Amino acid sequence: MLLQNSILGLAIIVVAGYAGAKILHKINFPAVTAYLLIGILIGPRLLNFIPVQLINASDFISNFVLGIIAFMLGTHFTLKDLKAAGKPVIWISVLEAGFAWAIVTVIMILYLILNHLPIHPAFVLGAAASATAPAATVMIIREFRARGPVTNMLLRVVALDDAWCLIFSAFAITIASAISVGFFTAGVILEAFLEIIAAVVLGGLVGLALHFIARFVTTKDELLTVTAGFILLSVGLSITFHVSPLLTNMALGLIIANISKERTIFFDTLGRVDPVLFLSFFVLVGANLEISMIPRIGLVGILYIIFRVIGKFIGVKLGAALSHAEKNIGQYLAWGLVPQAGVALGVALIAKELYPKYGEFIFTTITATTVIYELIGPLCAKYGLQKAGEI
Amino acid sequence: MNNLLSAGLILLLGFVGARLLKYVRLPSVTAFLLVGILIGPHVFNLVTEEIFAGADFFTNLVLGIIAFSLGENFRFDKIKEGMKQVIWISIIAALGAWVLVSAALIIYFVIIKLPLYPALVLGAAASATAPAATVLVIREYRSTGYVTELLLKVVAIDDAWCLIFAAMAIAFGNAMRAEVFDMVIIFAGLGEIFGAIIVGALLGYITSFFSRFVTTRDELIILILGFILLNVGLSIAFKLSVLLSSMTMGLMVINRARENYKFFEELRSVDAPLYLVFFILSGAHLDFGILYNMGIVGILYVLFRIIGKVYGAKIGAKISSAPKPAENWLGLALTPQAGVALGIGLVAKSTFPDYGNFIFTIIAATTVIFELFGPLLTKYSLQKAGEIAATE
Repeated sequence: MLLQNSILGLAIIVVAGYAGAKILHKINFPAVTAYLLIGILIGPRLLNFIPVQLINASDFISNFVLGIIAFMLGTHFTLKDLKAAGKPVIWISVLEAGFAWAIVTVIMILYLILNHLPIHPAFVLGAAASATAPAATVMIIREFRARGPVTNMLLRVVALDDAWCLIFSAFAITIASAISVGFFTAGVILEAFLEIIAAVVLGGLVGLALHFIARFVTTKDELLTVTAGFILLSVGLSITFHVSPLLTNMALGLIIANISKERTIFFDTLGRVDPVLFLSFFVLVGANLEISMIPRIGLVGILYIIFRVIGKFIGVKLGAALSHAEKNIGQYLAWGLVPQAGVALGVALIAKELYPKYGEFIFTTITATTVIYELIGPLCAKYGLQKAGEI
Repeated sequence: MNNLLSAGLILLLGFVGARLLKYVRLPSVTAFLLVGILIGPHVFNLVTEEIFAGADFFTNLVLGIIAFSLGENFRFDKIKEGMKQVIWISIIAALGAWVLVSAALIIYFVIIKLPLYPALVLGAAASATAPAATVLVIREYRSTGYVTELLLKVVAIDDAWCLIFAAMAIAFGNAMRAEVFDMVIIFAGLGEIFGAIIVGALLGYITSFFSRFVTTRDELIILILGFILLNVGLSIAFKLSVLLSSMTMGLMVINRARENYKFFEELRSVDAPLYLVFFILSGAHLDFGILYNMGIVGILYVLFRIIGKVYGAKIGAKISSAPKPAENWLGLALTPQAGVALGIGLVAKSTFPDYGNFIFTIIAATTVIFELFGPLLTKYSLQKAGEIAATE
């Protein structure tokens, strides 16, 4: 394509994203969906308007944006709130992630047995199904200014469920290895727990540093610089130490929420710039979506899509009932948990490395279903919050 | 070292550096440049290759934002005030730098028996003022008053004069080398200016048109950044002056509708980290090795550029009967030099196979000096003019 000029490329991303959101707003589509569609349209597979340098920068922008979102999610965990809502958060998140895992795994095992294939990929697919992508849900909440008990609970569940996904994946990989090579090792599970602890410690330390430096901040300009700097630092360090950037930044937000008196100022200051970042992020996600995978989705993909959602719905209902949460929460929260993205793709990548023979199969299924979930996820989240009366 | 870690360190070290140097009353711009030198490839090497290579992107984006903001100062309902002074001072200060630097270098080149045209091109490069450093000093110290306002306007339009001078100098240079005078170069220079004005005006018009669809604050920042990027991107694509087109865009936006001031306000609330990154990357790119090659030519350039600006502004202020503080201090505030001069150096490099490299080296070396000391001089002169509060 003629575009070598990355400034012009970014301009097209921003202007087209904005125009797309404005137009699709008329038919009540959320902005996220519009950004993704615009991304698919101007991405390398269709119009190819995005210069290579920007496609290469996707990684940077996506890590930064996910860092901001995780940070924000972390600030929803103050000790005071947790005393009131701690029990339902734990129950709902563990059960929605657990049921998605269990149900998808069982269905996949049945499918694989019927097709005379080895069953171990089923465990990994199930684990990938347990994760929820926070970004799209958070964007919906922001765009439609949703507020209320379901919204609050949703933000916390979305935050926690990545930790469960990490643990489930570790179990899944352990079981799969035990079945495929007949060799059981708890090392992977131990590693997963260590990764979670390391991420929390790292985020906590960066949070303490931010809290310390923040006292030297005098102007709003400096506040923005420092907040952005610490989020980048925390994401960068988590990548260096191979721990989850999402958990690290959540821990950063959590520490700030609990030790800083002015906990909202950090997030408010980011709120001035992040519309542009979020827009670019989702347009680039759209541009990177493997739409060519959709035809290869197959029966496995369709089963995965349906039973992952069923698992989430059952899990939420059960969790809400067990913890005596509000009725609306049990009924509508699961709609916000449909989106699937980076974490699941991460699990698929690990699987690809571990089982070269079936990794490709797992990877194709996850990427193809991710495309579908990315596109319908935001609509589901919006629908659920509307039904709950919080939009 | 991954890109995110590097970006985080840039922001945080920039903040810490600016904080520390505040104790010795150095402006943040200088602190950012020094931090950039420290974390750049020559010293601690904390900037990843990808980010280092992104400097070009940041330079264009930041210059676009700065020039756009400068356009806000040209509101038609207030334009009568001081416009006479702005025109006179900007022309004569730019001309003064050109004439004095050229004259001094011509004399020197005659003595050491060099061709004379490089003196003309170097002089033209000397006429430009870097807006970014100047604007940042004004903002940091909350400088307000007559001189400050004049300075903002002079900085905005002096790039237009510089482009004209540079086109003339390169045309003369070609004529002296090849003994053909090519009017096309001068027309190309004028074309670059008019083209930039047309593109900027168009984009400003479109921005203002779309502003009626803005319903939330989030959209405000998306729209304005999107169109500034578009304007910069198009200017680069058509090889027009990014500074002039962005300034025209700002001028158009502020004059189309009163409530458009919101765009400028919104930009101001987010642009600080961009400036920081821009100056740190500029610092990382500063090449000190080049100072060794500067020699007497570089020293003459630095000296006579300052003298030319100071006395040019003085004469301009006298002619247009500007107030005393402007007469005394405006010229010194115009000393920062950066991208525009370097741009002329690059053109010279590709136009003149024999002395182009020499011209570029001198401009690059003096830019190192002016980047570091220019902001200090701007701050000093605004202080002397009494427009920065004493507590700073």
